[in-house]
Amino acid sequence: MADLTKELHTQCMTLQMGPSHPAMHGTVKLLVDVDGEEIHIVKPEVGYLHRGFEKMCENSTYHQVTPFTDRLNYVSPFINNVGYALAVEKLLGIDVPERCKYLRVLACEISRITDHLTCLGASGMELAAFTVLLYSIEAREWMWELVEALCGARLTTTWTRIGGVAYDMPEGFEQKTHQELDKVKRLIDDISGLLVKNRIFYDRMRDTGVLTADECLAYGVTGPCLRAAGVYYDVRKAKPYLVYDRMDFEVPLGKHGDNYDKFMVRVIEMQQSIRIIEQVLDQIPDGPISVDDPKITLPPKEKVYTSIEALVHHFNIIIKGIRPPKGEVYVAVEGGNGELGFYVVSDGSDKPWKCRCRGPCFPIVQAIPKMLEGSMIADVIPTFGMVNMIGGEMDR
Amino acid sequence: MAIKTKLNFWERLYFPEIFRGIAITSRHFFRNLSNPFKNPVTIRYPDQKRFIHPRWRGRHRLMERNDGSPRCVACMCCATVCPARCITIMPGEHPDPAIMKYPISFDIDMTRCIFCGYCVEACPVDAIRMDSGIVSVVDYSRDSLQFQKEVLLKTS
Amino acid sequence: MAEGIILAVKIAIAVLFVLNLAGLLTWAERRQSAFMQDRLGPNRANVFGVTLIGLLHPVADGIKMMMKEDFVPAGADRIVHTLAPFIALFPAFVAFAVIPFGDRLPIFGYEVNLVVSEINVGLLFVVAVMSLAIFGVFLGGWASNNKWSLLGALRSAAQMISYEVTLGLTIIGVLMVYQSLRLDEIVRAQGDLLFGFIPKWGIVTQPLGFLLFFAAAMAETKRTPFDLPEGESEIVAGYFLEYSGMKWGMFFMGEFAEIVVIAGVVTSLFLGGWQIPWVSTAALLSVFPGWLVALIQIGVFSVKVVILCWLQLTVRWTLPRFRYDQLMRLGWKMLLPISLANIFVTGAVILLIQHFKGV
Repeated sequence: MADLTKELHTQCMTLQMGPSHPAMHGTVKLLVDVDGEEIHIVKPEVGYLHRGFEKMCENSTYHQVTPFTDRLNYVSPFINNVGYALAVEKLLGIDVPERCKYLRVLACEISRITDHLTCLGASGMELAAFTVLLYSIEAREWMWELVEALCGARLTTTWTRIGGVAYDMPEGFEQKTHQELDKVKRLIDDISGLLVKNRIFYDRMRDTGVLTADECLAYGVTGPCLRAAGVYYDVRKAKPYLVYDRMDFEVPLGKHGDNYDKFMVRVIEMQQSIRIIEQVLDQIPDGPISVDDPKITLPPKEKVYTSIEALVHHFNIIIKGIRPPKGEVYVAVEGGNGELGFYVVSDGSDKPWKCRCRGPCFPIVQAIPKMLEGSMIADVIPTFGMVNMIGGEMDR
Repeated sequence: MAIKTKLNFWERLYFPEIFRGIAITSRHFFRNLSNPFKNPVTIRYPDQKRFIHPRWRGRHRLMERNDGSPRCVACMCCATVCPARCITIMPGEHPDPAIMKYPISFDIDMTRCIFCGYCVEACPVDAIRMDSGIVSVVDYSRDSLQFQKEVLLKTS
Repeated sequence: MAEGIILAVKIAIAVLFVLNLAGLLTWAERRQSAFMQDRLGPNRANVFGVTLIGLLHPVADGIKMMMKEDFVPAGADRIVHTLAPFIALFPAFVAFAVIPFGDRLPIFGYEVNLVVSEINVGLLFVVAVMSLAIFGVFLGGWASNNKWSLLGALRSAAQMISYEVTLGLTIIGVLMVYQSLRLDEIVRAQGDLLFGFIPKWGIVTQPLGFLLFFAAAMAETKRTPFDLPEGESEIVAGYFLEYSGMKWGMFFMGEFAEIVVIAGVVTSLFLGGWQIPWVSTAALLSVFPGWLVALIQIGVFSVKVVILCWLQLTVRWTLPRFRYDQLMRLGWKMLLPISLANIFVTGAVILLIQHFKGV
């Protein structure tokens, strides 16, 4: 009998995880070299959702860019809207009214909750806790009811305008918000009740996908992943924009930088966001929601219909657009996954010369090999879930 | 605020926490079972429509004057401001000298529209609105999604 | 002749029981999970507008699966690929042959033992047959010529072999208590009373054994939290990734049939099978005719099985999935030593009892 073992040779098996793999939400491909269950090499391949956001901006007026920003991080569109509007406003050198600032904070925090709920639900589902997904989807649905009441769309919000916001709160919104937040709180409790202390979940998350503080900083990772590693950096606290300096909220900090800490950071951030929303509703002052500058914002509709002066301003803004002075600005806001920055360069025309978006996902996806190499196939799932890659934001 | 997380011995035993999880899901189960037609949050979509908020940006419609002609004055504001460039207007001289122009044709390419609502905001005469409450814009061919003036006027 | 008819009827009852309950479970799982998740679940399939609270969905599913293309991937081993679902499906049905659903009863003048097959090694037979199911899974995964399927097959092989050890060892505790390998004898023994008032059910005499057996048995069914071979988010669908149509349906049915069988075995071993607490067969026979007693006992057995199925579904929709190494650790480092300790303690207690009784 021939020696069969001589014929045997072993080699790593290359798995193509994605772009259409159940766990690769958003479109990304991970090329994974596995030895049995163990991962040797991971190579993320990005770009499947590249739509040329930055190039489109260069061919659109400042006003027209706002709908494109909805589609960056499509689970927290308000934050993108606000970030872009703040950048252009800084370029213009204007300050928006108080009420508008509060409204923007309110919208941002609603979006943060939807973002984190999506992240937790999706990673729960990928760990086979399907019920968690549907609880978080249900909670997200309540939040989207608010979004819809506020801006007339659930996802493509296009809510901010340069120098203000498009709509004020509708009637009965505050009461409705309190009601929906109560439901959301209960569902968040259920979600954490199902997972947080469950040992199966704990073992899956603890000590997997570890990214230490130094590594986070080296890769430029921000947001919950950075805070899970114990670095106190939240744009809302570090460089308060809008009225975040008046809000009383805490920044949760993890210790190990593993998936469990990232999970817990997100759970607590949602609770803090609910606190912020409640404070906003208590404090919000009356007043205009946009700056009163006919060169920047459209005049109110009633005036356009009746006065010729307003009509001329109206036409001017629409046909000629807003023309910020020459210059360049960078404005960062705290997005769902970290620092979301807009770098806008103006050459004095009505279109941005360059509108660069610093999405938080790209650096984190870059760090995926660091988190995964040496672990097991099953670890890809919670790690990728907690990275919370949003294709629209990463590939732009 | 630092996160404190460590499982104690009781929690490491699997079973207590499993029972707690079962208690949570069972609570939902029995609550929904007690009133299966009211408690689940599902909306049985085609039979049962969701409440659409008044601000909802749905399918466009063109407003009419009292005589049934479109209110639009073909000022091209909406076509200019549209980020998706999906509105095409062909302006023409109106026989009535009191009205300067009117749209000979007013087409919206619904396959391109991104429902941002800028056209409504840009209209100086309140001629286009998105308050039809029609949520689904679906058809079998691209051609039937090129909405002409007549279709848009009839939408309400 | 009469013997043959009785046997045929008994086989029919057993097979229909498993088949119908498995079919119903596909519906129950979807409905139950829906209600656990604040949804409604399937309610659209209808015949002339009659939906029967979604009960037509399993039928519609069956028709759909029959109609679907039977796909065999390129490079797959055709014969093994086709054979695997059959191997996966049959053990569940065969294992039910030794599960009693009633006592030995006089029905229409015949002495009928309400179990399909009265073999002396009943319990061993169950374990042996259940362990055959692994071949279906493993061969199916291997023959599919797909990397994900291969990973699923490897996981399933490791998992099912590990948990069979615990399964076998926990059964020993039960054997020691009831002194029999025949399932009908074990169930009959559970009709006795402990200290004169507690039914001598397996769950009372072997509480730890019940938990261990139930956990290990759930691992055998390859469902969450033990659905690593399938792991739809990790290895896509694991071993049945390349299956479609009725072949996939057979894996699916096999899974649900296994749930029923597990429920049946656990009922027989730990929940007193067809026994009604504090009501003996003799007491029932003194009031009702034999055929009615048979129906009552089958009913009681079914209720217990359904409750256990419900429990399994609840667990499945509550918990996340283990990781491969954690599963192995649980199996070998926790369940196995505990089950060994369980045997030791059971043996010690039995010896003590015998000592004090002076047997």
